[in-house]
Order: sequence, then structure tokens, then C-alpha cells
Amino acid sequence: MRNRFDQQLEQLNVDMIEMGALCEQVIDKTYNVMMEEDKVAAREIMEKDVEIDHKEQEIESLCLKLLLQQQPVARDLRVISAALKMITDMERIGDQAADIAEIVRTTNLKAPTNDIPLGEMAVATIKMVKESIDAYVKKDLELARKVIEYDDVVDDLFVKTRARLIDAVHNEKEDDASAMDLLMIAKYYERIGDHATNVAEWVEFSITGEHRGEDK
Amino acid sequence: MRQKILKNVTLTVSLAVVLAFILIELVSYRQFYANMQGEVRNEAAYVQIGLNEVGEGFLDQSVADITNSRITLIDADGKVLWDSVEDASEMENHRNRPEVVQAMEHGSGESSRVSATLGESTYYYALRMEDGHILRIANTVSSVFGTMLSGFTMIIIILILVIVLSVFVTHAMTKRLVDPINKLNLEHPEDNEIYEELAPLLRRIEKQNEVISEQVVSLKSAHQEYLAITDNMKDGLIVTNRTSVLSLNKAALKLFRIQLKEVVNKNILTVSRLPELKEAWDQAVAGKPFERNLQMEQRVYQILANPVVFDGEIQGAVMFILDVTQKERADQMRREFSANVSHELKTPLMSISGYAELIQNNMVRKEDIAEFAGRIHSEANRLTTLVQDIIKLSQLDEMPQSTQMEDVDLYTLSQEIVSGLLMAARNKGIKIGLSGESAVVPGVRQVLYEMLYNLCDNAVQYNQEGGSVSIELKQEGQEILWSVTDTGIGIPAEEQERIFERFYRVDKSHSRASGGTGLGLSIVKHGAMLHHVKIDMDSEVGKGTTILLHF
Repeated sequence: MRNRFDQQLEQLNVDMIEMGALCEQVIDKTYNVMMEEDKVAAREIMEKDVEIDHKEQEIESLCLKLLLQQQPVARDLRVISAALKMITDMERIGDQAADIAEIVRTTNLKAPTNDIPLGEMAVATIKMVKESIDAYVKKDLELARKVIEYDDVVDDLFVKTRARLIDAVHNEKEDDASAMDLLMIAKYYERIGDHATNVAEWVEFSITGEHRGEDK
Repeated sequence: MRQKILKNVTLTVSLAVVLAFILIELVSYRQFYANMQGEVRNEAAYVQIGLNEVGEGFLDQSVADITNSRITLIDADGKVLWDSVEDASEMENHRNRPEVVQAMEHGSGESSRVSATLGESTYYYALRMEDGHILRIANTVSSVFGTMLSGFTMIIIILILVIVLSVFVTHAMTKRLVDPINKLNLEHPEDNEIYEELAPLLRRIEKQNEVISEQVVSLKSAHQEYLAITDNMKDGLIVTNRTSVLSLNKAALKLFRIQLKEVVNKNILTVSRLPELKEAWDQAVAGKPFERNLQMEQRVYQILANPVVFDGEIQGAVMFILDVTQKERADQMRREFSANVSHELKTPLMSISGYAELIQNNMVRKEDIAEFAGRIHSEANRLTTLVQDIIKLSQLDEMPQSTQMEDVDLYTLSQEIVSGLLMAARNKGIKIGLSGESAVVPGVRQVLYEMLYNLCDNAVQYNQEGGSVSIELKQEGQEILWSVTDTGIGIPAEEQERIFERFYRVDKSHSRASGGTGLGLSIVKHGAMLHHVKIDMDSEVGKGTTILLHF
């Protein structure tokens, strides 16, 4: 019985890593989509997003099965409940990456100019997502905390991007519609950063048993 | 072992006590019963004598009180005349009692009756007296079971005592027996001097110890061999079983930036989350060899995944990760080269065949034929130059590193080149200057000439009208520096890396405004490699270019 439980826990772990890997892949692709107007990648992202949604359901039902049938306690319970929370955030990451792809695909958005730090923001967010998944895989508390702190960088970049976009619109370097779309994309990245932070917080919780939640 | 000994001893002792008790009881009971019988007969004889002497008055209460036995007097018809225990008048006729019957016939008779319920056994002895009356003496004793039953509490107490005692004794005893066994030195079994019964066992252990240590040594050396091979490989190696990672070599750890302890006995996904790796592993574990390329951090890797089959079953997978970046780049360059060569060869050929066709179809006026022939000639010349350049390049490619070197004076070489270019320079109004003094380097004269000529030729070709080219040669420590500086169009920074590639042109239009085959700098690069010369370049668009060779 224990043995089976351990097997299921390992399966959960593998599923989580796979879902994380999918998130990484889609967020990675958003960079190409945005900076190089890569329409093929945009479609791939949307296909991958469906895969992420399926994975979420799969993991969710596995978690519920584990909770009901095995009635885990202590650390195992933490791992499972953290997994349940993490998949929601990961699923949101996938959705928002798909939203970015959708914007580029439907509006024929041109890549942002050099003085709008959206590319930098994408790179920072990709780093956050990658490291939060890394922290989960390696159960690395240090790395998880680093990700949580790094969120400020992304937030600052968002504020900067917004200011630059306003300037660009004022100076008529950018037309209103695409400035709006770029701002949306920036906001999505900012949200993805927040979700990566959440994932890192749940990693922290599953290791230490303490969740910092809103009171950072 | 102690437990077992204790259990066995306790069982044996208890069994012995119980058996001894039963046997002793049986034997002593027989003795006791026989004694009792004798006493009863004696008593009968005494009572008979008494009766004969005294008469019936002998039997009264006093007699009944002094004896434990029951005395009964029965007349010849079986009627009870007197009884020491019960009222004779109420007793039934005893005519048919076996002892009475026997006594009637033989003068004496006996019988014993056991009452199972009371656990008692009664012995009757009857005697026929001279007057025909029967005297019967009966004695009741406990039966065998009764006696045993009465000794039951005793036996229980004895048993408990014996068991407690045996536990203590066996405890001490087994301790004394087992302790030396526990203290056996199994590293060197033959050094022990205890029970000789254990000697064969110890000898076996000694032998097996030897076998084991030999095997450990050979295993260790095999493992070290394996580590030496895998850790010194520059390609990554991952070994897994069907569910998790077993080992990675150093190259793989470095490649994926992980620690061994982070991934051993975990899923392959902990090594890397790249979908290609997972796919390769999935296929290999399913029994299908798998091969594919993987892009990682600007480099190209090839994953070779193979199932490990043992006893007809898939036990895991072995994956190689080879860095094929160089190969990929070389492949790409070869592809580009063939494409470029075909293109470069085709262009002049198309013009030649076009002009020739026009002439053939009489589409050209007689007086123009000379001009057309001139064009055909110049295109053919371009073709020849191109083919020559390609031949030179492939010669350089094929040239072994140990080609015979001679001493070449770069200064005289440069002079030759300058005089060769004077015509072209004058046409564009360009001044060529040469400064420095003679400097001798080991090299292949023809190749060095090509190199320097191509560089100077470029300096003239890509110069502005009325510009200048200055060639400088100087000695700096051990190094000889040769440089050519022009005031030409310059090379954009992002193109500087690529201009040494075959057929690469900054001007993508392939326009032949400035002529050239696109192979010149490639020849320079290969010549420099052959002579171990370092090339430095400093260029600014619109200002000019300096190329510096370190000999």
C-alpha cells in the first residue's frame, strides 16, 4: 500500500515537472513571437496551452485521488496541497502566454522598438518561470526565495515599459492601438511573473511548511 | 537462538516432570494397592478368628470404629447379617456379588469395583466361614486417577519451580554457549579457537571472504575503469533504468549544469526539461533506438538514445549527447559553398551562352560581333579566375601542415605586389605607399603572395576615388607586423566576423561593380592558418580599414 502511494507521489512529481516544462516552453516561445513576429510559434503556443490545460486536469484528479484514498499527513499532505495550488498558477502562465500569442497573431503587431524594454521584461519573466520550476525540481529553497525577490525586477520593468510607451505615444513614435497592445503584453508578463512567484512560494511551503502568502 | 533453546529446554523439562510423575504414580499405586489387598486379607483372617472365638457378638460397633475397612457378614443366602457402615436390614441381597459367589464356591473370593465419578476404587475380599456365612471385608482407596488428581496441585507447583529454574539455568547456559559465537571474528574466521564443531563453517566463511574480497577488488577496478572512461569523455553520457537516472558522466553534468546527487534515482526530467531529451528517453525505454538534434545555448547537440536489453527485457537506456556544433556548422558551410559555387559559375556561363546564342541566330550586326566576343572573353576570364581561386582554396585545404617552408622576404614580396597593382590604382587615382624594411619569415612563397596580394587588391578595389593605400612592415619584439591601411568604404562591425567566409560579400547584391570572386579573403584566412598568422582588423564604415597580420 505504501509502495503504491510512493509510486503515485513520484508520478505526481513527474507530472508536475512535465507541466512545468510545458510552461517553460510556451513562455520561451512568446519571446520569439513578440520580438520576431513569429506566427508559427504563436500557433504552437496555443496548441501547447491546450496541452497544459489537460495536464492540469490530470494532476488535479491525481491529487484528489491521493488525498481521498491515501489520506496523507505531514510532508506528503503539504506536497500534494502545494501541487494543487501550483498547477493553478502554472495553468495561468500557460493561458497568459497564449494571450500574448493571440494578440500578436490577430493584430499583426510589430516588434517593440529598442527603447521599450519589453524584450528585457520577457527575458526576466522567462528566467523567473524557469527558475521557479528549477526550484521545484531540485527542491531548492534558496532558488525559490531568489525567484520571489526577482519579482520586483519584473515589476519595475513593467512600470518602465508603461512610462516609455506613454512617451512613445506622446511623441507619435508608436500608434495608439499597438501601444495599447504592447502595454497588454507587458501586463501579461508582469502577471506571469506574479504566478512564477506564487509557484516559488508554494515550493517554499512544501519544503518548510510555511506559506508567506500576501504578507511578503 | 537463545529463545529457541529456552523454549526447547522448558518443554523437555516440563515433559520429563509430567512423565516422571505419571510413571511414579502408576508404579507406586500398584505397590500400594497390593499392600492394601494384603492388609484386607489379613484383616479378614483376624476377624474370622475373632468370630470363631467370640461368636457373632464379636461384630459390634467397636470393631467398626477401629478399622477403616467395611466389614460385612452375609449368610449363605446372601442376606446381610451385619455391616459396619450401614444398617444391615436395609441392604439388598448380596448373593450375586462376584466376590460372594467366588467365596461360596472356593472358600474365598475377591473383586474390585471402580467408581469413576468418585475417583475411588473399592476392593472386596470375601471369606466363607465354617458356619457357611460369608465374611466380606471391603476397603476403599482412591483410584489411580484420583490419586493423581490429588497430586495435581503439587505437580503444578513443581512444574512452575522447575520451569523457572530451567529458564535461569538455560539462560546462563546459552549465554555461555552463544557469547563466543557472537564474538567470532568473521574477518579472520580461522583465527578463532572455539567449538571445533564450528571449524568447517569458519573455513567456509574464510574461503568466501577471500572470494568476496577478490570480487570487490575486481568490481572496484571495473568501476574505476568505467569512471575513467566516462568522465574523460567529452560527450555526455546518461545511464538510466526503466524509471530513473542511474548515472551521468562529468560532461553530462556540466552540460546540463546539475549535480549528480540532484538527479540520481530520480526521473529523467530532473536532468533537463527539454522535450527532446524526454522524447529520446521515452523511445529508448520503449525499445526503439532514437537519434535527434537538440539546440541548447547556441550549440547543437546530437542525442543518441539506445535501449539496454538484458535477458530479452528492456532494463533501461543509455544516452549519448554529442556536441555536433562544429559538424553542423561545417555542414552548413559546405551546403552554402556548393550553392554559392553553382551560382557563381552559372552567372558568367549564362551570359556567355546568351551572347553566343545571339551571334548564332544572326541577331548581331557584323560590326558588333567584336564587342560581343569581347564580352564573352571577359566573362570567360571571370570564370577562369573563379575556378583558379577555387583550386587555390582547395589546394590550401589539402595542403598538409608540414608543407616545406622557405624563407620569404615580405618586403620584396610587398614591392612586387605594389608594382602589380600600380596600374589599377592609377586608374582610380589612388596613391600606394610602402614603408618598412626587409623582414624574412618562413613560408610558402606562392601562398604568401596570394594572401598579401588579395589584401592589397581589396584595399584598392574598395577604396574611394583619390584615396590612398599604405602598406607598412615593422618588427616588434619577436613579431613581424605587416599591415595595409586604406581610406575606403570600410566594413560594418556586424559583418567583420563573416567576411572571411567563402563567397561572403558585404554587398549582398552580388553586383559585380567591384569585381572579385568573393573568395579572396577566404584564401587569406586559409593562408594565415597555414602560416600560423593572426589577423587583426580595424574598420570603420566610410573611413577605411586596417588589416594587420602578426607573423
